[in-house]
Amino acid sequence: MEQVSAFSAGWRRTPASAVSGFGLIWLFLLLFVLYPLTRIFYDAFTNEAGQFTLVNFQEFFTDQFYLRSLWNSLLLGFATVLTTSVIGIGVAFLIIRYEFPYRNLFGYLTMLPMILPPLVGVLGFVFILGRAGTVNILLMDWFDMLHPINFMYGMHGVLLVETLHLFPFMTLSILDSLSKVDPSLEEAAQIVGAKGWRRFRDITLPLTTPGYISGALLVFIWTFADFVTPLVVGVQDLLAVQAYLNIVQFVDRRIFRMGIVISALLVVLAIVFVLVARHYVAIKDYSSLAYSRVERRQLGPIARWLAVAVLGLLMFLSMIPQVGVVLAAVGKGWSLTPFPVQYTLDYFRQVSIETPRFIVNSLVYSGIAVFICLAVGVPMAWIMARTRAPGRGSMDALTTLILAIPGTAIGIAYIRAFHYPLPAIDVALTSMWIILPLVLAVRRLPYTVRSSYSSLLLVHKSMEEAAENVGATKFATFRDITAPLVWKGILVGALFSFIMSIQEASATLFLTLGGWEMIPFGIFTYYIAGSHGQAAALGVILIVLCAVSLYIVNRVAGARVGGLFG
Amino acid sequence: MRIAISNLTKRFGALAAVNAVSLTVEEGEMFTLLGPSGCGKTTLLRLLAGFYTPDAGEIRFGDRVVNEVPPHERGIGMVFQNYALWPHMTVTENVCYGLKLRRVSASDMAARARAVLDKVGLTGLGERYPGQLSGGQQQRVALARALVLNPLMLLLDEPLSNLDAKIRVQVRSEIRKLQKELGITAVYVTHDQEEALAMSDRIAVFNLGSACQIGPPKALYERPANRFVADFIGINNLIDGTVTTVGGQEGGLRAVTALGEIGAIHDGRLRAGDRCVICIRPENITLNSGTGNGKNSFSGRIALSAYLGNTLRYDVEVGGPTPFKADIGDPWHHEQLAIGTPITLSCTIGSTLAIPVD
Repeated sequence: MEQVSAFSAGWRRTPASAVSGFGLIWLFLLLFVLYPLTRIFYDAFTNEAGQFTLVNFQEFFTDQFYLRSLWNSLLLGFATVLTTSVIGIGVAFLIIRYEFPYRNLFGYLTMLPMILPPLVGVLGFVFILGRAGTVNILLMDWFDMLHPINFMYGMHGVLLVETLHLFPFMTLSILDSLSKVDPSLEEAAQIVGAKGWRRFRDITLPLTTPGYISGALLVFIWTFADFVTPLVVGVQDLLAVQAYLNIVQFVDRRIFRMGIVISALLVVLAIVFVLVARHYVAIKDYSSLAYSRVERRQLGPIARWLAVAVLGLLMFLSMIPQVGVVLAAVGKGWSLTPFPVQYTLDYFRQVSIETPRFIVNSLVYSGIAVFICLAVGVPMAWIMARTRAPGRGSMDALTTLILAIPGTAIGIAYIRAFHYPLPAIDVALTSMWIILPLVLAVRRLPYTVRSSYSSLLLVHKSMEEAAENVGATKFATFRDITAPLVWKGILVGALFSFIMSIQEASATLFLTLGGWEMIPFGIFTYYIAGSHGQAAALGVILIVLCAVSLYIVNRVAGARVGGLFG
Repeated sequence: MRIAISNLTKRFGALAAVNAVSLTVEEGEMFTLLGPSGCGKTTLLRLLAGFYTPDAGEIRFGDRVVNEVPPHERGIGMVFQNYALWPHMTVTENVCYGLKLRRVSASDMAARARAVLDKVGLTGLGERYPGQLSGGQQQRVALARALVLNPLMLLLDEPLSNLDAKIRVQVRSEIRKLQKELGITAVYVTHDQEEALAMSDRIAVFNLGSACQIGPPKALYERPANRFVADFIGINNLIDGTVTTVGGQEGGLRAVTALGEIGAIHDGRLRAGDRCVICIRPENITLNSGTGNGKNSFSGRIALSAYLGNTLRYDVEVGGPTPFKADIGDPWHHEQLAIGTPITLSCTIGSTLAIPVD
């Protein structure tokens, strides 16, 4: 009864300004999320004359190469999920359940690969493990090997890079789930005689399913949609790579259309995986507010140093790209020696002082993107958490959808959707630099929405009502009660959006025109052009920017950033 | 199975959560650990369960010292405060998990699960998941899971604290009945004194890591041995005083207090000149029944009255630091007195207890 009246009263009492705000948000979502996506599906189902046809898909599914790419992409996705699962789960349990030397330090180091943009990571690996990389040169010097070992070039190289880059996301998701499991569930198992591995398999592991699923989904979609890493190590028979290559060649219209078809397929597959995962998580939400923590167990003398050794090795491997990029950035004329012979800051000077636009563009565009994220995301979170406005469910679904869509597909969708001249100014959106902040904002909107939403949920409605009860106006209530309690969560979400925006390569590579180059674009083009030093110097700058942002996130939020990836 | 604990100590840092506790739980007894939060009762239960290892002292189950024995080899069944049902398993799977680990045959397992679910009144709910059950039903599943392994003893950690008042009373009598039927030794932790009085054969009242008093409910309520127990269990009017003479009429004593001279019974520990605390239960006080031999009387004014349905409770100013509480047991036949009404309270010496100051 009360609910019904609140619902119907919802619109009647709502001031016109609120309704128009609500309308603006939907307009934004329709224009910049739904319309571009619809556009690539329209393209996928039509021919050059604009007539409906299934011929594009027929062509895809009869082409052996495309089918092999599809198969390879799925295989690579699942393989990465597997490797990151083993490492991620192992690290998460070790860190949360056991006591051993340098445990805290390792906890922080685990996060390090996250600040490493994937594009920079693969370059770093190539510098160290590539054909003419440090390791091969050393091996050839020491053992008189005639041919370098192929660590990097091929599917196994992609798997290696993706695994080392993505396992922290898995670890964080598991940590988040694990910290919500009530310890007495394990004690109850202990009482009835479930020991060690058996208890872990039957009780503990199943209880972390929700976190595991969201982590696995993130890893899968990331790998599935990444085209930069495979390209750098020379792998082309993957779906995302095919989409990219088909689009960037502007010669053959047929092939161009196939690029669109492939990105439509990427979107569909990603959505299917999200739906399956969501369904699975929804029926298995076991989180409870754990009233106590499971006490950490001391590892035995051998086991503890084994743990340090394993984690140490893992961290060493994850640090390879950083070392490689730094060496390449300061090494003058580095080739055919294990380490640079001469050192220089020339590359840094070239990419910062001589050509400042990479850094400036990155900061400005990512900054504007975060501003858009806040302007759209915070009200969205507020609508979802605080009102009974119709369409809240669709908003939630849209945020999840955005998380699932590969950057490649969004980039392509924007090219297709916004290359028409706008009515009043006769310029297409794709010809204006604002399209870059826009696409970045849309890509990273979910982080802002989610963190704001969960912060808002923490402020119980009755706290606001209590303030209004003692005479605070709606505005005073927001300023004095709600805002102080939620700003941290919102800031964390915004900073995360910033980190991810500044690293973004897949969506922006397509859209970047002369003068708009951001750092990842610079890295990519310098590398492809053979200017490895400049690419590496930009990589180092990008790492530093991300590290500073992550440091701030950590200072603000503690280490509790796991929930963002759900 | 008899439990014997001697000089048991468990420290967390500098704090001794359980401090040199000695007690025995007899075979088939329902033994309750009662006390406020942080008194050490849950720590003691977890020591019995084997989740903690004692820092000093000994725990014996029968003749066996179990200090270092892991939980699953102690022959215990445990019911947790929040039930701790595994949410990813059905009711039957929860109940059978321990049997499965013991490699019980499938047919045997099904039969035992059915029998124990029947026993706790959950017939036909075996295929449900814990999330689909009410709190009371979840509690019964937890009980069934503990009982299906035929444990030698049952440990219950505040098992009713998450239930609604009505269900709580119902489940508590079910647990008591089941425990008597099975003749199983049970240790029950609670902070709810009414629950403790209603269920237990004996109760140990805990405070600051030590057992203050151990005894059957009636003894604890009517003959508290110290101020903490007198104050913690039920409601008591406590008056500080000094013993003047011991061994007067009815083998009692007399003491001087701020409210005048009071006659009281005691357990023989008090001597003339000792400081003491006089305890008078509200239900033992009568209003305006006149003074006389064998009675203590106090005059005062009504400060507050509270109608509780089955009782009417007056707060009466008698000149002491706290008002006296006096209960009318049959408010149905009593006209409620107005605030400020002068009144005389009296209580027989036989229901006035003197205990030593700790």
